[in-house]
Amino acid sequence: MTPQRGEVLQGTLDLIVLKTLDAMGPLHGYGIAQRIQQVSEDLLKLNQGTLYPALLRLEQRGWISSKWGVSDNNRKAKYYSLTRSGRKQLTSEAANWERMAAVIARLLAAEGV
Amino acid sequence: MKRLRVFASRLLGLFRKRRLDENLDAELRAHLQLLTDENIRRGMSPAEARHAAQREFGGVEQTKEACRDQRGVLLIDSLIQDLRFALRILSKSPAFTTVAILTLALGIGATTAVFSVVDRILFRSLPYSHDERLVAFGLTAPIEKEEFMLGASYIDFRKSPGPFEEVTSMMPGDAKCDITEESPVRLWCAHVEYTFLSTLAVQPVLGRNFTPEEDRPNGPRVAVISFALWKSRFGGDPGVLRKTISLDGKATRVVGVLPANFEMPTLTPTDMLVPEALDEEQQRRSAPGAVLRTFGRMKPGASVAEAIVGLQPFLEQSLQGAPAEFRKEIHLSVSTIRDRQVRDARLASWILLGSVFAVLLVACTNVASLQLARATGRQRELAVRAALGASRGRLVRQALVESTLLSLLGGAAGCWVAHLLLRLFVSIAPQGIPRLQQASVDLRVVGFTLAISMVSAMVFGLASALSNPSPGSLIGKEVRTTMRTVLRQTLVAAQIAVSLVLLACAGLLLRSLWNLQRAPTGMDTEKVVTATISLADYRYTGLPQQIAFFSQLQARLKALPGVTALAISDTLPPAGQMRSTILAAVEAEGHAPMAQGTGGSVAWRAVTPGYFSSLAIPILRGRSFDEQDSLPSENPIILSETLARELFGNEDPVGRRLRLFRQPAPWRIIVGVARDVRNNGMVASSDPEFYLPWKNDPVESLSTGQVILRTRMDPSVVAAWMRSESSALDPTLPIKSETMTERVGKLAERPRFNAMLLTLFACMGVALVAIGIYGVVAFLVAQQTREIGVRMALGASPRSVLRMVLWNVTRWAIAGAALGLLGAWFCTRLLQSLLFEVRVHDPMLLVFALVLLLGVTVLAAWIPARRAMRVDPMIALRYE
Repeated sequence: MTPQRGEVLQGTLDLIVLKTLDAMGPLHGYGIAQRIQQVSEDLLKLNQGTLYPALLRLEQRGWISSKWGVSDNNRKAKYYSLTRSGRKQLTSEAANWERMAAVIARLLAAEGV
Repeated sequence: MKRLRVFASRLLGLFRKRRLDENLDAELRAHLQLLTDENIRRGMSPAEARHAAQREFGGVEQTKEACRDQRGVLLIDSLIQDLRFALRILSKSPAFTTVAILTLALGIGATTAVFSVVDRILFRSLPYSHDERLVAFGLTAPIEKEEFMLGASYIDFRKSPGPFEEVTSMMPGDAKCDITEESPVRLWCAHVEYTFLSTLAVQPVLGRNFTPEEDRPNGPRVAVISFALWKSRFGGDPGVLRKTISLDGKATRVVGVLPANFEMPTLTPTDMLVPEALDEEQQRRSAPGAVLRTFGRMKPGASVAEAIVGLQPFLEQSLQGAPAEFRKEIHLSVSTIRDRQVRDARLASWILLGSVFAVLLVACTNVASLQLARATGRQRELAVRAALGASRGRLVRQALVESTLLSLLGGAAGCWVAHLLLRLFVSIAPQGIPRLQQASVDLRVVGFTLAISMVSAMVFGLASALSNPSPGSLIGKEVRTTMRTVLRQTLVAAQIAVSLVLLACAGLLLRSLWNLQRAPTGMDTEKVVTATISLADYRYTGLPQQIAFFSQLQARLKALPGVTALAISDTLPPAGQMRSTILAAVEAEGHAPMAQGTGGSVAWRAVTPGYFSSLAIPILRGRSFDEQDSLPSENPIILSETLARELFGNEDPVGRRLRLFRQPAPWRIIVGVARDVRNNGMVASSDPEFYLPWKNDPVESLSTGQVILRTRMDPSVVAAWMRSESSALDPTLPIKSETMTERVGKLAERPRFNAMLLTLFACMGVALVAIGIYGVVAFLVAQQTREIGVRMALGASPRSVLRMVLWNVTRWAIAGAALGLLGAWFCTRLLQSLLFEVRVHDPMLLVFALVLLLGVTVLAAWIPARRAMRVDPMIALRYE
């Protein structure tokens, strides 16, 4: 049975993008999409187009910045990188997420008994 | 902060739309390209790879749309769309747009102009910090209506001023002073205590205030000069602080310069502040002491009632020293500086503001009913838009954007109208309207204009916004909702009601003005020229010089051709600036002096023998003054009719004697009784009066004289001659000459100003009503064409159709008029104190206003209604 591909949870896409940029350094939109799919081992169903409004939103908040550059295979592409406040945001978001995940795990464990 | 940043980037997004779109395109294209490249690398054919990439990516257009939404401010974006649409709609019906904008410009312009005048009087803060805590306090008496305190009790009061943070005082009256060095000039100096500026919280812009040491009798002579004087005489040189000027012949040091916006709490023009130098010892010795104007800054939170309580003991103290008959008529009073400044201008200001708001209301209802009428024609358009998916909110917003645009355009034009009107006001305004000269269309006023434009947009916009398009109108069926018809008729009624109130008020003021101008003054003012001459003390140092000047002038003027009578007096009727005393201080021989009360004030003047013949005041008994009377040994007196009656009843007073001013001597012989003359302005009731000869009396200074000349010639020519005769004697002398008729006319200036403005507004109201009714009836007729056609086809005569259309409007006009009558009944009562010999409820006037307004209504309705008569039934029925 193939594992069911999950929808990206509302609000988690931001965290995912931030973490990806943190881990990989400056990347273009395509690269980010590839990386997310690679890491999630295709468990996440990501419509690559939905990435762009999220990128715009993050940029408007000042968490990432963008610059035009040239890709490995000589294509012009827009590269995104994490800003200082983006890194701070990532730390706090990640902590939040872990706390939340822990709470949910505990809840589920209690239920299971 | 973050939200602000997002908003800023979104806002920027609005303006760099195209570049951002291209950018986004390029980025998405690159993404797809990279995906395709990858797919090809995996071994797909190029076409297959592109398709797979697109599948994986999802909708490109949706992504773009989502990005655009994220980028732009949706509301503003669609607002711009609405605005563009509104502009198109408005330019499509230029007639409606022009009428609406003109109507609004008139309403908003008039409101703005009046606001810019009354704002200074009623609302704008005074140039003192916390001016609401600044008060004038003290006593008021029948002959001294502004607050004052007497020297001795003030000195006690200021030691522990109770609820006041600080108190201060100044000498009352106009204090003339002269700079007596090279290029001498006459100035106004205010004698103030050293606490004056600190109480008002005013800091000199240069230098300092007086010190307590300088505010002592015989202290060093210092002055704080006004900003204007500093600029004009000293060229704005900061070195002025080291200067010593010769003030009335005494060396005086300039120690400070007042701020440019400084004004006296009394609003009197002032060039210089000099120390009051109140002599405490002397005030106590001569208790109750001098009259002082007293001002104070109340402690935060202190109330007027507390101040009154705090002052009570000092009232008692003042009354102990005061003449017994004063006691009953003296009251304590505390009024804010603003109240003191605007006293009688307040009511008129509110009335003008109220009436101009009424005009604005009529203008708004006008535009509203025009829009309603138009909305009926636009039903189909609205229905189409609704059918195509415009939400109800969007349609309402569209209507509001349209009306806002209209009223902003009207407001912009209104600013210009206001500017013109303000120039008109200033040019026709009388003296003494506080701060009128400063009124201008400034930022604050423009802000007000903007606000009322927006409010009026809401008022007339909502009316049409609330009309709900019905699907029926899609197929061209006419839907006439009764609700809208009723609304429109109500608007007509409201307009008429408001205009009727305006007309009634204007009529009352005009009527009162008419009475005022025809009120008898008790003298003959035709062919009389007057001149006010004020001798500077530094040139005419004593009485002999003053007398010499006036007798020379008299001799020269007598020689002029056509002079039939000539006189000099200290003051002139009918303006009320004469000297006065109280009846209790006039003691007739053989009559007991008054025991209680002051008896009210009694006016008096010093006049030369020609006075009564120059002004043609009849002598009822006895004789006029003659040259003999001017001798120092003679003490004659002439009484006015009323004074003679009050003192002697029906006895003949001629030959009797009386004493004045509580002095034991001299006894004065009554030589004549003159007819009463109006002497307190045109509105207030006149005081009884007596006349003394203008003579070599060592007590009185004769520095100011009124020359009165009766002539057979043209008065304006004689006025010019008088000026040249006077300047032949002394070219430096300022002389103000005018005909007596002009002088009397000036007394009615204020009522004339009020009446003119209100009449102007009433006319505007009526004109707007006419425009409004014309527009509404024209639309109604156009709309009812089919109905009229059917009626005519069924045999209705054109005349009956006309009657139907007219009756439709007149019905509501009558309802409005009834409401207006009711409103006028209440509103005219507010005018009471502005009226002169007019009853507040004048039925004739109301009837006249009613007939005028209904006449205008019927006329305005009749012109478009005639079109209904000419409807051809065949064409009307084929109309659909």
